Amino acid sequence: MRPIVVLLALLLAPLAATAELLDFSAAERTQIARHGPWPPPFTPDPSNRVSGKPEAIALGRTLFFETRLSPDRRFSCASCHDPALGWSEARARSQGRTSLDRNTPSLLDIRLRRWFGWDGGHDNLWAMSLRPILDPRELASTPSAVATLLRDDATLSACYARAFGRNAAGVDDDALSIDAAKALAAFQETIGSARTPFDDFRDALERGDREAASRLPVAAQRGIRLFVGKGNCTFCHLGSAFTNDEFHSIGIPFFTASGVDGGRHAGIRTLRTSRHTLLGPWNDNPDLAPGTATRHVEPQHRNFGEFRVPGLRDVARTAPYMHDGSLATLREVVRHYSDFDPERLHSDGEAILAPLKLGDTEIDDLVAFLDALSPTSPGPDASAGPRCE
Amino acid sequence: MILRSLLVAGAAEACEPPRLEPSTRIEGKQHVLLFRGVPSPPPLNAAFAVEIAVCARNGASVAAPRVDAWMPAHRHGMNYRPSVVAKSPGSFRAEGLLLHMPGRWELVFEVGGERLTAAHVLD
Repeated sequence: MRPIVVLLALLLAPLAATAELLDFSAAERTQIARHGPWPPPFTPDPSNRVSGKPEAIALGRTLFFETRLSPDRRFSCASCHDPALGWSEARARSQGRTSLDRNTPSLLDIRLRRWFGWDGGHDNLWAMSLRPILDPRELASTPSAVATLLRDDATLSACYARAFGRNAAGVDDDALSIDAAKALAAFQETIGSARTPFDDFRDALERGDREAASRLPVAAQRGIRLFVGKGNCTFCHLGSAFTNDEFHSIGIPFFTASGVDGGRHAGIRTLRTSRHTLLGPWNDNPDLAPGTATRHVEPQHRNFGEFRVPGLRDVARTAPYMHDGSLATLREVVRHYSDFDPERLHSDGEAILAPLKLGDTEIDDLVAFLDALSPTSPGPDASAGPRCE
Repeated sequence: MILRSLLVAGAAEACEPPRLEPSTRIEGKQHVLLFRGVPSPPPLNAAFAVEIAVCARNGASVAAPRVDAWMPAHRHGMNYRPSVVAKSPGSFRAEGLLLHMPGRWELVFEVGGERLTAAHVLD
C-alpha cells in the first residue's frame, strides 16, 4: 500500500507544483481585469449598411476566396490571409505580383480596429478590403472588372441581390466595387479569436476563484506580472484586444529595398487623399460613423518609422512579427524589447520605450504569457460558413 | 478714495465665465476657465469632446482657446489636433481629443496668450 501512496504522491507532485496562484496586488488585478472580458459583443459597423447581414457575409466569404477578383486568376484575398495561420501568412514579407515591403497583417478581430493596415491608411474595413483588389502589386483589378464579375456571374449576381436588395445590373462600377468591398468587410467582421487560457485566468481572478485561476502555469502568471508591471507593455497593448490601435516606433528599421517605408506618415497621406474614408460619399451612415478621428488626425514628424500596434490575441499563430516580418518568433520579439538600440527609435524625444534588460527567466515568462493568449482549441471557423450557391 | 480705487481694481481682475456645471475650474492670472469632458470623465483611447467656458479678468472678449493634451512623463502629446468652435460669447466646444495611453495626462488650454492646464489621470 505504501509504495502506491508514494507513487501517487510523486505523480501528483508536478500538478501540485503548477497549481499555484501568485500573490497579485490589487493594482495588478485591476490591470489584468482590463484585458477582458472576451469576446466583446458584436456591434455592426454603421458605415457599412450590410454589416452583420448573413447574406452579405456569405457573399463576402465567397469573394474572399475568389481568384477571379484578380484578372489573371492568380490571387484571392486568401492567397496571403491564410485561415490556418491566423489569417496571416508565414513568409516575412508579402509576395504579390512583386515582393512587398510589409508582412501580411492578421485579420483576427479586425472588426475592433480604428485604423487599418500597418500604416493606418484606411479608417474603415471596406476601404481596406478594396485596396489590395485594386493595387497593381496585388490582385491588380479595377472597379470595372469587379463590377463585371458581380453582374455577369449568375451565382454572384443572385447573391448580391440577396445581400444588397438590388440588381447588380443597375449599379455603376464604382458603387458595385465598393459594395463588393462592403460584403468582404461583413465577412471579415466574423473572423474573431477564441477564448484563451488567459481569459479563463482573468475571469477566475475577477470572481475570486483561486483554484480556477491557479490553472494558468506559474510562468505565464509571472509573465503577466511583467507585462502589466516592469515591461509597461500596457501603455500600448491595452484593453481586451491588447492594442491602443495607434502607431509607435519601436526601433525596427524602416528602410526597404526601394528606399524608406513612410509608415504612419505615409498612412495619413493616403487617408487624406482617399475618396473611401468615413468623410467621403461612400459612408452609409455619417451620423453614427462621423470619422472624428480621421478629421482630427495630425501628421507629425515622428510618424516616420511608426507602425500600428498589433493586437496580441492568438499571437502565437501569426508569426513572423513586426511590420516587416523581421522577427521570426515570440522569443525574438521579447528579446527585441529587452535589448533594442534606443538610437534606432524615431520618437522625437518621446520617453516611452527603453530596453527592458530582461533575464532569461523573464523572457521565458513573457513568452509563456504570450502563448497563453492563444486558444487551446480552435474557435469557430469563419471560412466554413455559407457561401453563395 | 484710495479704498474705492482698490475695489475698482479688484473688480476689474475678477470675472465669471458662462455657467457650466459640473465642471473643473482653472484660475489663471488673466483668465478663469471652466471645462468638462463629454463624456465625463474623458475615456481612455476613445474620442471625446470638451466644453469650455472662459472669461478674461480684464473684461475683454475671449477668442477661441487652443486645446491640446500631453503626457509630461512620456514627453508626447496626442496624435490628434482638436477643433474648437464658439457656441456663444465665452463658450466653446473642442472636438477630436483622444488620449491613447493610460497614465497622467495634462489638458492644455491656450487662451489669449495664457496657458492653463489641468491634470487628468487615466488608469
